[in-house]
Amino acid sequence: MTSALLAVDLGKRYGRKWALSGCTLDIPTGHVVGLVGPNGAGKTTLLHLAVGLLSPSSGSLMVLDEAPASSAEQLGRIGFVAQDTPVFENLSIATHLQMGAALNPKWDEQLAQQRILELGLDPNQRAGRLSGGQRAQLALTLAIAKRPSLLLLDEPVASLDPLARREFLATLMEVVAEHEVSVILSSHLVADLERVCDYVVVLASARVQVNGEIENLLSTHHRLVGSRRNLDNLPESAHVIEVSHTDRQTTAIVSSADPILDPSWSVEEMTLEDLVLAYMGQAEEQRRVLLRSNGGAK
Amino acid sequence: MTWFAWRQFRSQALVVFGLLVAVAVVFLITGPHFASLFHDLKTCRAKGDCESITSSLTSGQDTYFPFAQAFSLLLPALLGLFWGAPLVARELESGTYRLAWTQGVTRKRWISTKLAVVGAASMLAGGLMSWMLTWWASPIDTVNADRFSSLVFDTSYIAPIGYAAFAFALGVTAGVLWRRTLPAMATTLAFYVAVRVPFFHFIRPHLLTPVRQIRSLKNVGNIGFERTPNGLSFIAGDTNLPNSLNFSSSVVGDHGGEVTRQWLRDHCRSMLQQVPPNPGKGVKVTTGIRPEAFTECVDKITAAFHQVLLYQPANRFWTFQWIETAIFLVLAVLLGGLSYWWVRRRIA
Repeated sequence: MTSALLAVDLGKRYGRKWALSGCTLDIPTGHVVGLVGPNGAGKTTLLHLAVGLLSPSSGSLMVLDEAPASSAEQLGRIGFVAQDTPVFENLSIATHLQMGAALNPKWDEQLAQQRILELGLDPNQRAGRLSGGQRAQLALTLAIAKRPSLLLLDEPVASLDPLARREFLATLMEVVAEHEVSVILSSHLVADLERVCDYVVVLASARVQVNGEIENLLSTHHRLVGSRRNLDNLPESAHVIEVSHTDRQTTAIVSSADPILDPSWSVEEMTLEDLVLAYMGQAEEQRRVLLRSNGGAK
Repeated sequence: MTWFAWRQFRSQALVVFGLLVAVAVVFLITGPHFASLFHDLKTCRAKGDCESITSSLTSGQDTYFPFAQAFSLLLPALLGLFWGAPLVARELESGTYRLAWTQGVTRKRWISTKLAVVGAASMLAGGLMSWMLTWWASPIDTVNADRFSSLVFDTSYIAPIGYAAFAFALGVTAGVLWRRTLPAMATTLAFYVAVRVPFFHFIRPHLLTPVRQIRSLKNVGNIGFERTPNGLSFIAGDTNLPNSLNFSSSVVGDHGGEVTRQWLRDHCRSMLQQVPPNPGKGVKVTTGIRPEAFTECVDKITAAFHQVLLYQPANRFWTFQWIETAIFLVLAVLLGGLSYWWVRRRIA
């Protein structure tokens, strides 16, 4: 099976700061992947590496089994919508479509025309005059009409109002259903992803914290609530992600392939948001510990 | 990609080529008038009224020429600023590089097509302006007979094609390195001037070994004496060599040496005695000198000294045009190569 994205120990450094490091991922095709993490976690860096705008400082990366931007064909198989959806301000919508047709071998003119028509946009309008939502839709149209095998979208809805956000995601889901395209979509808001994604990658502090199919992740992660205690009696396969105590009670989020059978715990189901927040909290905690130990060394 | 490179460049191209059309209209209106004056000048010798024709030809020059020459001189710099500098910088600045470089076209092809399309347009614009100016100004250039002067050499014939290519490539390179349009434009202008001005002052005269010629002082105009704090010193003007690039001229004795004050004291005593010791301000050097004494002294100098000229003769004009064009084209190719490499390898 081909991988949509296969990264081995991938890293990108700016000066002395690593924007992404030790990233090992194997995302199969056929998923809508949510790439989630706080601002500055490395989401844009990972997507720019995937589309060949950046080249890695370490490790390797294959996208649809080829090095990113290695050929015109490879570029043609990937639709990319960059953050803040850049368009050529002084060119009209029609000219943008002409550009797409001229530069992409598999360009679907009919699809592009139809999308502009459905969106109610005037083809002669200059792209600089479009609203944020319309511009995002234009950028998505350009990416879709390439008929890509993989769509990469970098915070496509971050700057949109709730209505435009919903319309954008609805369009995206139609495309996925119609054209069997894999999608990797970044966002710092879990709510956006919950509706559309079936696979999640949590990036925080320049590292991948967890990744996998959402269904699997939710069935192997549990929130345990019980009377206050140490966490010694958990099964071997269980990893504690997050633990908090009150005077009387202990709450823990653990990942465990085996079911938690200890009757003294009440086991609760988790939402995607809980899961993501737990891993982001873990990354933040590790960062603080690291800072403290570095400070102590000095 | 060629179509899209042109499409993005179209409005900038229209501005410059629109200006060139305006210049062409002015030239077409005024050009035939100069040409007919020049025709009259060639036939006037029989009738003898050449002076009025020459003066109306040169007064026409005073009205239009500074503008035409300034425009031809500035055009390459403008191309570098407004075509070269934004070519890549504006894409990086506005973020549209993320759209442009993720279409089904490699970055290699993107940058090479852009360089080729806009670079060719720059050379075309520079060449057109030069060609129009060369045609329009040919009567006056013939009368003035100073093709090697900077105002003619740098604005006409083929050299402006090289300048245009160079300025464009300089602009692109500055834009690629700065990644922002405005500082790139400032850098382009600064470097363009910093290359062109020293080139024409210091490098052009040395491109070929100058011709050395020894001439009798009899043919030299503007011979005379100059008052200095230490007494009189001899001066001689340049010999007029039409269309040549004068390098240096000096007065040398038949057995070496210059016209020193000691030599003047030894040989022109009768003249020196007539020079008032403290003439006061504003008094002419020759005040109080009898013409016979002056002529006698000059004759003695002419007999013992000659003028040594170093210059690039008129028949080397085209050689110099080709050399200079080639040098600037090579610089343009090197800068273009640097931008190409930088866009492919360093912006990542």
